[in-house]
Amino acid sequence: MCGVCGIVSYGSPPDLILLRRMMGRLGHRGPDGNGYYRDRHAALGHTRLAIIDTSGGAQPLCNEDGSVWVTFNGEIFNYVELGAELRGLGHTFRTASDTEVIVHAWEEWGQECFARFNGQWAIALWDRRAERLVLCRDRLGVRPLFFIRLPTGLLFASEVKSIFADPSVERAFDPAGLDQTFTYWSPVAPRTVFRGIQQLEPGHYAVLDRDGFRKASYWRITFPERGREPGQDARENAEALRERIIEAARLRFVRSDVPVGAYLSGGLDSSVTAAVISRYTDAPLHTFSLRFSDSEFDEGRYQKKMSAMLGTQHQDIVVSASDIAAVFPEVIWHAETPILRAAPAPLFLLSKLVRENGFKVVVTGEGADEVLAGYDLFREAQVRLFWSRDPESAKRTRAAELLYPWMVRSPGRIPAFARSFFARHLDPGDPALSHRPRWDSTSAIKNMLSGHLRDEIGRARAEDVVARMPPGSEEWDPLSRGQWLEMTTLLAGYILASQGDRMLMANSVEGRFPFLDRDVVDFANALPARHKLFGLEEKYLLKRAFADLVPDDIIHRPKQPYRAPDAASFFGAECPSWFDEAMSRQAVATAGVFEPSIVAGLLAKCERSGGENLSNTDNMRVLAVVSTQLTYKSFIVQGGSGSSERPLSDPSVAVDLVTDDRSLP
Amino acid sequence: MNRDIVEQVLRDYEASRCPDADPELEAVRAAILIEDVFDVVLSDAEIDPVVFADTSAVEALIARRRGAV
Repeated sequence: MCGVCGIVSYGSPPDLILLRRMMGRLGHRGPDGNGYYRDRHAALGHTRLAIIDTSGGAQPLCNEDGSVWVTFNGEIFNYVELGAELRGLGHTFRTASDTEVIVHAWEEWGQECFARFNGQWAIALWDRRAERLVLCRDRLGVRPLFFIRLPTGLLFASEVKSIFADPSVERAFDPAGLDQTFTYWSPVAPRTVFRGIQQLEPGHYAVLDRDGFRKASYWRITFPERGREPGQDARENAEALRERIIEAARLRFVRSDVPVGAYLSGGLDSSVTAAVISRYTDAPLHTFSLRFSDSEFDEGRYQKKMSAMLGTQHQDIVVSASDIAAVFPEVIWHAETPILRAAPAPLFLLSKLVRENGFKVVVTGEGADEVLAGYDLFREAQVRLFWSRDPESAKRTRAAELLYPWMVRSPGRIPAFARSFFARHLDPGDPALSHRPRWDSTSAIKNMLSGHLRDEIGRARAEDVVARMPPGSEEWDPLSRGQWLEMTTLLAGYILASQGDRMLMANSVEGRFPFLDRDVVDFANALPARHKLFGLEEKYLLKRAFADLVPDDIIHRPKQPYRAPDAASFFGAECPSWFDEAMSRQAVATAGVFEPSIVAGLLAKCERSGGENLSNTDNMRVLAVVSTQLTYKSFIVQGGSGSSERPLSDPSVAVDLVTDDRSLP
Repeated sequence: MNRDIVEQVLRDYEASRCPDADPELEAVRAAILIEDVFDVVLSDAEIDPVVFADTSAVEALIARRRGAV
C-alpha cells in the first residue's frame, strides 16, 4: 500500500518540483520511503508503505532495459505464481516484490495482464518507447486512482489533494458529482465531487499516448441468467466457497513481510476471516475491535467471545460521540468528499490503534455483504416483491414483521409503515427495485440545496446508474441486479473509499479483503441467488460453509449494520470549536451548496434535541451539510493542503532523465 | 428445475425452520422462499401452516402451481 502520483506532458518536460509537492500530499499513504522517475514526457512519484520485499521493492521500478516504469499502490496476491511463470518465459527479476511482476507481465501480455492479477491495485505504467501511460484499477475499486485531463497531458494520483498540489488545477464542486452523492451516497466513477477530476472506473484501464486518451474494461461485474447457474447443489457450493475463502484469507495473511492483524467487529464476516486465519495459518493472530460508549452501537460482547474462542491477542478502542466530532475535520480531509454517516470517523480511530500497536496490515470482512448478500436492503426487496404479487393479501403484509420484529409489539404502526414501505416505487419490473427506497430517502437531502446549485444540477444531468446496467441483466435474478447496483455504487464509492482505503491509509494501514478476492467474487456471482439469500436468510451459504468455525450465536444473531452516532456527535455538551465556524450562516452561504435558512432551521431542531432521536433523514441531512462544509473549506478554499501533510524524506529512487541521462539503471 | 433441487430446497428449509415462531408468520416465511425459488405464486389459502408442515404436501403444491403456469 502506498501513494502514487504522476504527470504526463507532451509539451514541456514535467515539473519535478510539482511532482515532489504531489508526493508530499501522499506522505500518510507511504511513510517508509519515496521515489521518483522523470523523462521528457512523464514523471512518476511514489510514497511507500513497505510490506513485501521491504528492502528491495522501492519504486518507481523498471523492467530489464528501463523502457517500462511503474508506480504502484496495492498488492498482487498471486505474484509468486505469476513471477514463476514469467521467469519461465525468460524474464529476469532484480527484486522479490510484487511490483516487478507488473512490469514483466505488461511486457509479456500487454493489457491482458490485468485479468491475470488477483489483488487490489492502482497502477501507472509508463512505456518510454511508445510514450504511453497506462493506468489501471482493481476489479471492485479497493484502491483509488484519480486523474485530470490537461491540454498537453494528464495528472494522476491516489488522492485528489495530490492533484490539487498543482495550483493551476481548478478547485470547484462538480454539481453532478454532488447530485450523485446526495442520491447514491457517493459519486459513481468516473465522477467525483470535484469539477474536472475523474476517478478511473474499477475493473478498467486507461491509455494516454499521442493518439489520445481511451479507456476499456478488463473485468465486469456479471451474473448468469436466472436458472442457468453452473452449480445447483448447496452442499457442493458451500464446500467450494469455503475452499476459496480459506485460500483468499490465507494469501492475504501470509503474503506479507510484516505482521498482519485482523479486524473483529463481532459480526459474521470478520469472525469468518479471523477464524480461518487462526485455523489455517501458524502465526499468532492479533485482532482489533471498535467499541462504542453508547450501548446502542456496541458489539463488544460478541467481539470478546470470538477473540476468546480463537485465543487472539485482542485490543479494542471505545469511541464516544465527542471523539467522533473531534476528529471529523481530519476524517473529511482524508475522505475528500461529503459523507452521509459519521461511521468513517470511528474507523479512522481504529486504524490509529492498529498503527500504534505496530501493525500496518489488517485483514477485514469487507465485501461479504455485497458479494454474498448480507444487507437488509436485499431482504427488503425480497419482501416487497412478495407483497407486490397480491397487494390486497393481509397475509403478505405480515411479511414485513419478519424484517422488523418491532411490528409485533406495535401493531398500530403497521398500516402506515406498510403504505410507505410497500407501495412507494414498487414496480416489479424496475431493475433498481431494491435501491429505490434508499435513493428516495437519501434524495431528501436535496430539498436543502441552494437554488443556484439546483439549477446547475439540472443543467449537468448526472448519469443514471441504472441506465448503465449491462445488456442481459434483465435475465438475472432480481437479487443479482441489486448486487450489481450495490457493488457499482455504495461498495466502490463509500464502503471501500470513505469507510475503507481512506480511513486505513490515514494512519498508514493497509486493508486486505478476502471476500473481494477475484476467485471468491467470480464464484459467488455465479451462484444461484437462493444460495446467497435463502428466502429471507442472508448470507446463507457463508453461514453453512463456516458453521463449524463460528459460534452459533454469532452465525444466527440478527444482522447489526455498522453504525455510529451521527448528528448526536455534534450537538452534545462538548461541541468542538470548529463546528460553529463551519456551520455559520455566512459559511453556508459562501460554500453555496445549501440554503442557509434551511440549514439554520435544521440546526435549531438538532440543538433542541441534542441531536438525539432524529429521523434517519435528518441525521443524513446534518452529516451531509457538516461534511460538505468541511470539504469546501479543505479543498475548494485551501486546495487540499492540510496539517496532516508530512515532509518527504530523501528519495530512495531518484531517476531524472531530463537533467542526467546517466541515471538510467 | 428438477425434482432433486425441489427436494434439496425443502430439506434445507426444514433444517432452517424456527420451531418456536408464530406458525402463521413461519408460513409467510416459507411462502417467500417457495415463490422466489420456484417462480410460483401462492394463494392466501396456500400460505398456511398446515400446508408447510408437510414436505410432501409442499412438493405437491409446487408441482400443482408449476403445472398451472
